[in-house]
Amino acid sequence: MRNWKESWNRFSTVFYPILFGALMITLWQTGILHKILGADTFTLPMPHRIYTIIKENLPVIMQNVQATLIVALGGLFLGSLLGYLLGVVAAIFTKWGKGGLTLASAFNAIPIIAIAPILNNLTKDVSPNANIRSMVAKILVVTITSTVAMSVNAYRGLTEIKPFSMDLMRSYAATERQIFWKLRLPNSLPFIFTALRVSVPGCVISALVSEYFAEYIVGVGRQIRENIVLAQYATAWAYISVACLMGIALYVVLLIFESILLKGRK
Amino acid sequence: MRKGNKGALMLTSLVMALMLVVTAIPATAATYYSKDATVKDVVVDAATQGKVGNWGLGNEYEIQALLSKYGMPTTYLSQAFDMDGFDDDSILLASAMTYNELGLVKNSYQGGYNYGDKVKTIDMNDEGVAMLEDNIFTTDAFAKANPNTVKAFLAASVKGWAYACANPEEAAQIVYKYGSSVSSDHQLYMAGEVKKLVETDTKGNPVTAYGKIDDTAMQQTLDLAKTYIKLTDSVAADKLQTLTLDDIRDSSYFDTATAADATLGTPEKTDVSIQLKWLPQAQFMGYYVALDKGYYKDAGLNVTIVPGGGDISETTAVYTGQVDFGVTWVSNLIAANAGGMGLMEVAQIFQRSGLVLVYKISD
Amino acid sequence: MKPVNWKKIFASSIWVTVAWVVGLIVVWEIGATIVAGVKRTPENVLPHLYQIIGSVFSTQKVNSSQTAIQLVLSNAWVTLARAGIGFMLGASIGFLLALLMSRFVAVEKMLFPYLMIIQMIPILGMAPIVLAITKNIDKSRIVIAAILTFYPVATNTLSGFKAVEKEKRELMYSYAASRFDIYRKLLIPYCIPYLFTGLKIAAPMAITASILVDTLQGGGGLGCMMSQSLKHAMTIYVFWQIVFLSAIIGILSYQLMVWLEKLVSPYPKELKNGGTGKAKELEA
Repeated sequence: MRNWKESWNRFSTVFYPILFGALMITLWQTGILHKILGADTFTLPMPHRIYTIIKENLPVIMQNVQATLIVALGGLFLGSLLGYLLGVVAAIFTKWGKGGLTLASAFNAIPIIAIAPILNNLTKDVSPNANIRSMVAKILVVTITSTVAMSVNAYRGLTEIKPFSMDLMRSYAATERQIFWKLRLPNSLPFIFTALRVSVPGCVISALVSEYFAEYIVGVGRQIRENIVLAQYATAWAYISVACLMGIALYVVLLIFESILLKGRK
Repeated sequence: MRKGNKGALMLTSLVMALMLVVTAIPATAATYYSKDATVKDVVVDAATQGKVGNWGLGNEYEIQALLSKYGMPTTYLSQAFDMDGFDDDSILLASAMTYNELGLVKNSYQGGYNYGDKVKTIDMNDEGVAMLEDNIFTTDAFAKANPNTVKAFLAASVKGWAYACANPEEAAQIVYKYGSSVSSDHQLYMAGEVKKLVETDTKGNPVTAYGKIDDTAMQQTLDLAKTYIKLTDSVAADKLQTLTLDDIRDSSYFDTATAADATLGTPEKTDVSIQLKWLPQAQFMGYYVALDKGYYKDAGLNVTIVPGGGDISETTAVYTGQVDFGVTWVSNLIAANAGGMGLMEVAQIFQRSGLVLVYKISD
Repeated sequence: MKPVNWKKIFASSIWVTVAWVVGLIVVWEIGATIVAGVKRTPENVLPHLYQIIGSVFSTQKVNSSQTAIQLVLSNAWVTLARAGIGFMLGASIGFLLALLMSRFVAVEKMLFPYLMIIQMIPILGMAPIVLAITKNIDKSRIVIAAILTFYPVATNTLSGFKAVEKEKRELMYSYAASRFDIYRKLLIPYCIPYLFTGLKIAAPMAITASILVDTLQGGGGLGCMMSQSLKHAMTIYVFWQIVFLSAIIGILSYQLMVWLEKLVSPYPKELKNGGTGKAKELEA
C-alpha cells in the first residue's frame, strides 16, 4: 500500500506538469487560448508555425545561440569569480565588507537598460573589431549583473557558521587561516549554488538585453528585437522559445552539477 | 579598522586600474577621403574596412542596395542613435538623415559636432537606390470601414504640410510648443530639410501635389525591398515576393480627398490618433501644424498625435488598433504586410529618400 | 524617549556606508576625469557627478515648459503608479497561488515546474508582445510588473507554508481546529516573513519592468525619456538623472517593504531568526 502510494507520488510529480503543458499547448494550437487572451494568430502564432521556423533556420539560430551563450557564460563566470572574491574580502574585513555589500546590492536596483549603453560607450576603444568590442561590452554587462548575487551569498556562506563548528575549531586551537580553508570555504559551497540559481537565469536575461544596445548585430536577444520591430512576430516567438530553452538547459545543467557536488550534504 | 581601509584601498585601486585600461587605449587614427574621391572609391574602401554604419531595424535596405551596387557584401555596423561612432572614426561611412543626423554633424549648435564643410555625403536618390520613407498608412480594414474619416484626415494633414512647407520657421516653433525636446536651432534646420523632401521627388523634380503617391518610386521601393528584406519565416518570405503595389498602397482616398471638387462627407469615426515613426520633431511638422491651426477640427476630427521611437513599431500599433493612422517607411510597411498585417498606404508625404551616407574628407 | 547614544551612533554601520559612498564617488570622479581627457563628448560616457547634480538644479528648459528635473519627475510618476498597481496585483496573485499550492498537492505538482520556467522566459523580450496583446501601454506595464512580481512572491510564500513544522500542524489538528483556523492562526502568520522576502525581491523588479515597458512606446514615463535622451533628442543629463533616480527608487521600494514588514509582523522578534532561515537563501 505504502509502496504504491510512493510510486504514484513519483509518477504524478512528472505526470501533472506534462498534463498541464499538454493542455496549454492544445488550447494554444486550437486557438482557444487566443480567445481567452483576446489575441490573434499574428501576435501569438500557432506552436507548429514557431516550430517550423526553428526547424528551417536551425543553423542561423545556432549561430545566434552561440553568441549569446558566450556572453552569458563569460559574464557569469567573470561576475561570479569577482563576486566570490568580493565576498572573501568582505568576510575578512567584516565591518567594512558588510557596508560595501549593502551598497553593492543597491546596484541591483539600477535597470540593465541603463547599464548597457554606458558600457557600450566605455568600451569603444577596446578593439578596432566591432564584433570583439561589442562582445566585451556585453560580457561586462552580464558580469555586473551577476556579481552582486554571488558576493552577498559568498559572504553569508563564509560568515554564517554553525556556532558549534566554530567552537570545535577553536577548541583545536585552529588559526584563522585554517578556519578559513577547513571550515568557511566548504561552508560556502551550498551558498555558491544558491547564488547561481539566481544568476544563471539572470545571466541569460542580461545577455539578451545587452545585445539590444550592442554595436555588432548578433545574438538571440537582438534577433527578438529586430523581428519585433520588423513586425515578424512568428520569428520573434521562435527566438523567444529558443531563449527559454537556453535558460532551462543552463538551469538543468546547474542542478545536475549541484546534485553531484553537494551529494550527501543535506 | 586599519585593515579595512587597506581592503577598500585595494579594491579602489583595482577598479581604477580597470578603468584606465578601458579608457586609455588610444584610438587608431583613420585616413579620410580625398575631396574628389568617387562614390565607388569611398563605398568600396569603407566596406572593405567593415566601417559602414546603419541603425538596422529596417532602416538598412538602401545602404545594402548601395553596397551591392558596388559589388560589396551587405554587412554593416550597428550605428547608435548618435553620431559619436562617426566622430571617433569607429564608423567611416555613417548613415544620416539629411534633416537630423547630418545637421548635427555639420552644425555647431547644442548637440552638434561642428564638421561644417569637412564632410561629404552620398545621396541615395542620386545613386538610384532610393526607397520611399515617411508616409501615412492605416489598415485596409479601417480604411474600408471609415472612408470619410480617412479622406478628412488626409485632406487636413496635406493642408498642414502645405502650410508647414510655406512657413518652416513657424512650423518648427509649433512642434517645439507641442513638447518636442529637440533644440529650437536644430528644429529649424530640420524643418528646412524636411521641406525639401516633401517638395522634391527622387529625380530632383518639383512635386505636383503634396502627399501624392508616385507609383514609379513606389515600384522601385517594392523591388528593392523584395531583394534586400531578409525574412527568417519562410511563409512571410514567400509572401513578400508575391506582393504588388495594390497590396501596399491605395491612392483612391487621396485622389478623392484632394480633388478640386472634393466632397468629404461626414467622418464615420471622429476621435482618431496617428503614431509617428520617431520622437516628436519637425520631421512630422505637417501633423502638428494641422493640429495647431485647427485643420483637423475643421474636418470634423479630434486627432491625437502619439510620438514613436520605442520598440513597438508604428506598424504594430496600427495593426492592433491602438492607433488609427501611422507614419512609417514604405519598406517597413512592406515587411509588415509580408508578415500578414494587411496595412495600406494612403499618402506619401516624403517624395524622396532622406537617407545619406556621410564621410569625412581630409583637408 | 531614550537619550541619544552618540558613541553607538558613531560606531554604527552608517559610517561604513558613508565611507563606501565616498570611495565610490572618488572612483567615479577619477574615471570621469580620464574620460574627459580622451573623449570628445565625455558627458555621453561618464560625466562628472557635479555636472549631473548641476543639471538637476539647472533652470534651462529642455522642452517648451519643463526643466530637466521637472520632466524627469513628472514622468517618474507615470512609471511608478503603474509599477505599484502591477506590484500589488502580482503580489496578490502570487500569494493566492501559493495558498492554493499549499492546500492542493496536485496544483503544486502541476504548476511548480512552470513557476521555475517563468523565471527563464525573457519577459523583457516579450514585453512588446504583451503590448501587442493587451493593446494598451498602461495595461501592459501593469501586466509585466505583475508577472515579474508574481514569481518571487509565490515561491517564497510557498516555502513559508512548507516550513511550518509538522508538529505544529498536528497540534492544531489535535485541537480539532478547522482548516480555516489553521490557515488563519498558524500558516498565514508564519509565512509572513517569507512573503516579505518575496516582496523585497519583487519591488525593485516591478519598477525595472515598468521602466523597460516605457521604452517601447513614445507615450511618456521614465524609460521613454531615458531612451529619447540616449537618442539625443534632449540633453543627455536627463538620462543620467534617470539612472540615479531609478536606483534611488529601487532602494526606497526595498526599504518600504522592510518598513511594512516591521509594521505587520505579528511576532517580530521570535520569527526574525527562526523564520527567515530558508527564505533568506532566496533573498540574493
